[in-house]
Amino acid sequence: MKRIGETQMIKITDLEKYYRTEEVETIALNKLSIEVKTGEFVAIMGPSGCGKSTLLNILGMLDDPDGGSYVFNGVEVAHFNERKRADLRKHNIGFVFQSFNLIDELTVFENVELPLIYTGIPSAERVKRVEEVLDKMQIMHRRNHYPQQLSGGQQQRVAIARAVVNKPKLILADEPTGNLDSSNGNEVMELLTDLNEQGTTIIMVTHSEHDARYSHRIIRLLDGQTVVENIMI
Amino acid sequence: MIRNYIKTAWRNLAKNKFYSLINIAGLTVGLAIGIMILLWVQDELSFDSYHKNTPNIYRLELFGGTGASRQIWTLGVAPIGPLSKQALPQIEDFVRLRDNGGNIFKYGDKVFADENAGFADPSLFSVFDFPLTQGNAANPFPNDNSVVITKKTAEKFFGTADPIGKVIRSNDKENLTVSGVVKDFPDNSSINYDMIMPFSYLVHHLLNDDKVDLNNNFTWFSYETFLLLKPGTDLKDLSVKIRQVHLAHKPDDTDADYLLLPLAKMHLYNADLTDKGIGTVRIFLIVALLILVIACINYVNLSTARSMLRSKEISMRKIVGAAKWQLFIQFIVETALLFLLAAALALGLIFLLMPIFNQVSGKQLIFNLSDYHIWVVILSTIAGTLAASSIYPALLLSSFEPLKALKGKISAGIGDVLFRKILVVTQFVFSIVLIVGTIVITRQLNYIRSRNLGYDKTNVFMFDMRAIGPHYDAVRAELLKQPGILDVARSSGSIVHIGGQDGTSDWDGKPANSTFIVHPMVVDKDLISFLKLKMASGSAFTGAPNDSAHFILNEAAIKEIGMKDPVGKRFKMDNITGTIIGVVKDFHFASMKEKIGPTVFIYQPKWMPIVYVKTTGRDAALAINAAETQFKHYNGQYPFSYYFMDDVFNNLYKGEQTEGKLFNYFAAIAIFISCLGLLGLAAFTAQLRTREIGVRKVLGASVSGIVSLLARDFVKLVFIAILIATPLSWFAMNKWLQDYAYHIGIGWWVFFAAGLLAIVIAFITISFQSIKAALMNPVKSLRSE
Repeated sequence: MKRIGETQMIKITDLEKYYRTEEVETIALNKLSIEVKTGEFVAIMGPSGCGKSTLLNILGMLDDPDGGSYVFNGVEVAHFNERKRADLRKHNIGFVFQSFNLIDELTVFENVELPLIYTGIPSAERVKRVEEVLDKMQIMHRRNHYPQQLSGGQQQRVAIARAVVNKPKLILADEPTGNLDSSNGNEVMELLTDLNEQGTTIIMVTHSEHDARYSHRIIRLLDGQTVVENIMI
Repeated sequence: MIRNYIKTAWRNLAKNKFYSLINIAGLTVGLAIGIMILLWVQDELSFDSYHKNTPNIYRLELFGGTGASRQIWTLGVAPIGPLSKQALPQIEDFVRLRDNGGNIFKYGDKVFADENAGFADPSLFSVFDFPLTQGNAANPFPNDNSVVITKKTAEKFFGTADPIGKVIRSNDKENLTVSGVVKDFPDNSSINYDMIMPFSYLVHHLLNDDKVDLNNNFTWFSYETFLLLKPGTDLKDLSVKIRQVHLAHKPDDTDADYLLLPLAKMHLYNADLTDKGIGTVRIFLIVALLILVIACINYVNLSTARSMLRSKEISMRKIVGAAKWQLFIQFIVETALLFLLAAALALGLIFLLMPIFNQVSGKQLIFNLSDYHIWVVILSTIAGTLAASSIYPALLLSSFEPLKALKGKISAGIGDVLFRKILVVTQFVFSIVLIVGTIVITRQLNYIRSRNLGYDKTNVFMFDMRAIGPHYDAVRAELLKQPGILDVARSSGSIVHIGGQDGTSDWDGKPANSTFIVHPMVVDKDLISFLKLKMASGSAFTGAPNDSAHFILNEAAIKEIGMKDPVGKRFKMDNITGTIIGVVKDFHFASMKEKIGPTVFIYQPKWMPIVYVKTTGRDAALAINAAETQFKHYNGQYPFSYYFMDDVFNNLYKGEQTEGKLFNYFAAIAIFISCLGLLGLAAFTAQLRTREIGVRKVLGASVSGIVSLLARDFVKLVFIAILIATPLSWFAMNKWLQDYAYHIGIGWWVFFAAGLLAIVIAFITISFQSIKAALMNPVKSLRSE
């Protein structure tokens, strides 16, 4: 197992998030405080509606907290505007989703290339990096296929390739094996573990105790609060 | 990055063929028709604007007469140009023009009678940009018998031979020597001749033959005068000074005011800047914009409605780092790609439709892509519509919140359903207004055709008798023997449009310093009965010699001069003093846009060159042959040409008929494009509600129940459109009808019919998709969710 670094990557303190409708206010995160160190692999678990995905979205700067503090790599980002968040996100964070979320109109190669386009990487460099990562994910032979032509496992490999192509410091994975059979699921978890061993910090939301065992630490949430933290040995 | 955008856009187009087809078809038709109408508008606005002196050239027009008969005279007196130039330093030069029609020209054994000839001052070629390809522009007419001909005329007369110095025989009397060849006059020139002879020819001939000194004649109003002014000339001040020049030579013309009409406005405005065509140009401009807006609305509606289907793609692009502006550019590029396709197809469609459009619009527009004017219209239309269609959807799509979009929380309501409904209502408002316009214009034209004109023009043809004059009685007798001919009469011109004006009339009790402008027509003793004109009082001419001192006025003339019991009273006109012997009931001798004005019938056998022949209708061909035989007998080589009164009448309303026909087409196109959009939206709605339809069917809903469920919302929108379109179209068409002194009323049923038509068409369009959705197997519908 790779040694976890001493540097703190994420520190959230008293984080709050509410969802309001006209009649009901639901508390998704209730003064939640968590720290994640660089190089850590953290699993977040809990029953449906406990705030796992909300937490992941805020960590990924896809959503705003309603209160509290979020320090990412030493910078307070809780109140960053959309442009700053987008900028920070595209250079630092990769996402892996349960339903893969590949763009149907783009080929495997083009899907993986997309983040590089938005970070302004020149074309030749893009080709090199996409090919490298496709090779690593063992999906090179499918480079010109469209997502619908791939199996679930292959689609998730492409999604992971897309998440890592920009060499992010952090990967946020939202139930990455939720739509896969156990064999494909294990492969995906191996891939994430490899990435973590190469230095990428990973935070993964999961319902699966099996998957959670790949992490260093499990944070269990209930009603928007941490109820227990398990350190995996 | 752009490559990536184009790739995605192209794949999206290919993936959604049905919607792509609807979008492209709507845009193609909209762009093609919009561009064609705008080309028409551009051509109308371009008239006479290509001369380098255009900003400083003005046509001098006279505003004369007193009281109700005060009006603008485009043709004025001959000396006003040269005298004004002499006296007023602001005038750099002048050009006088006069038509010289009805001549026969011969060269060798070739005979031509349809040349559009005119007299002009030599300055025509220096003031205006009518370049001579041969000859000397500084001295185009070396002598009075010189003639400058157009390139086309030169080819017609002389083929490839050099025309300079060739002699053309005119009317078997005069020899004209070709002294110059001018480039053919452009189609968008108000001045247009085949042959131009020097004005001095006219001056000398009138002096020698008729002892009329045109250089000092202030009573003949037959000449068009153009002035080239120094830049910055004060027009009002100059008009006053020109009036002073006129009064210095003819002090009693105190009612004569002068107006200066800019050359560039001559085609579409009267000298007082009232409408002479600019109204139609504005209407067509609005129609073009309406059609383009309707096409844009289709695109905006469909792309925003379908945007939810792209929420995943947009979210992912945002999550992996796309900035809002990058997505904005992406959607603009996508729209531009679609527009590019539609524009290419539209250009092809324009090529195909241009001959039909020219036929309907009466233009000769050439769709020449090497002409930059055409590109100005094409590119500005495409840029305008592209901007209108792309910005809103691009803003909307690029502002998706990635999380919501990803979770599918952005539902069918995206892009503001209300906004989309407003756009559909807008499309149908435009369409209904155009339908109402079509109905009203068609009915007004029918009304004009069927209104009692006060005379009978059926089965009557006319021809210019030329040399028949002294033999008219014999010819008439001969023609009356023909089986197909019912009657023969003659006059000075066509009664359908009595164009002449006279301001010399006088009568006992006429107010001092007043000018009564009347439209005179010379008629023979038979014409009143021939045309079944009704006498209100007194009698018609009998053909007796003293008829030349008799006048017959119409009721409008009597009313205007305020004369009681006019028969037997003294009346004077053009130096003839005589008596009013009758009053003819009012009849329409001009467009129904004008109130029936005053006219006077005169009897002067010498001045009646036009023969009227009434045929049985069935034997019209025989009658025409008989007339031609008589004509040839006296006129030898002159070609015989005739025209039916019905055609002359229809010509009066040519503009309106064209407008009516075009309106029909435009309304149909607007409806077609609107329905394409509706079809797309209906299909999309049915697609979104697939599960609901499945559940309803499982629970026992009938096909008709589901069709009505899906159609209801759209039909409601058309109803709202009818409510908005009714007052709008009433206002617009009522204003249009005000141009006619005689017009129909707009009944409620017009709006009802237009609304019903819109509803029926919309319902059929929607039903097509709704029935398809309703007939779907519910098991499939539910599975598809």
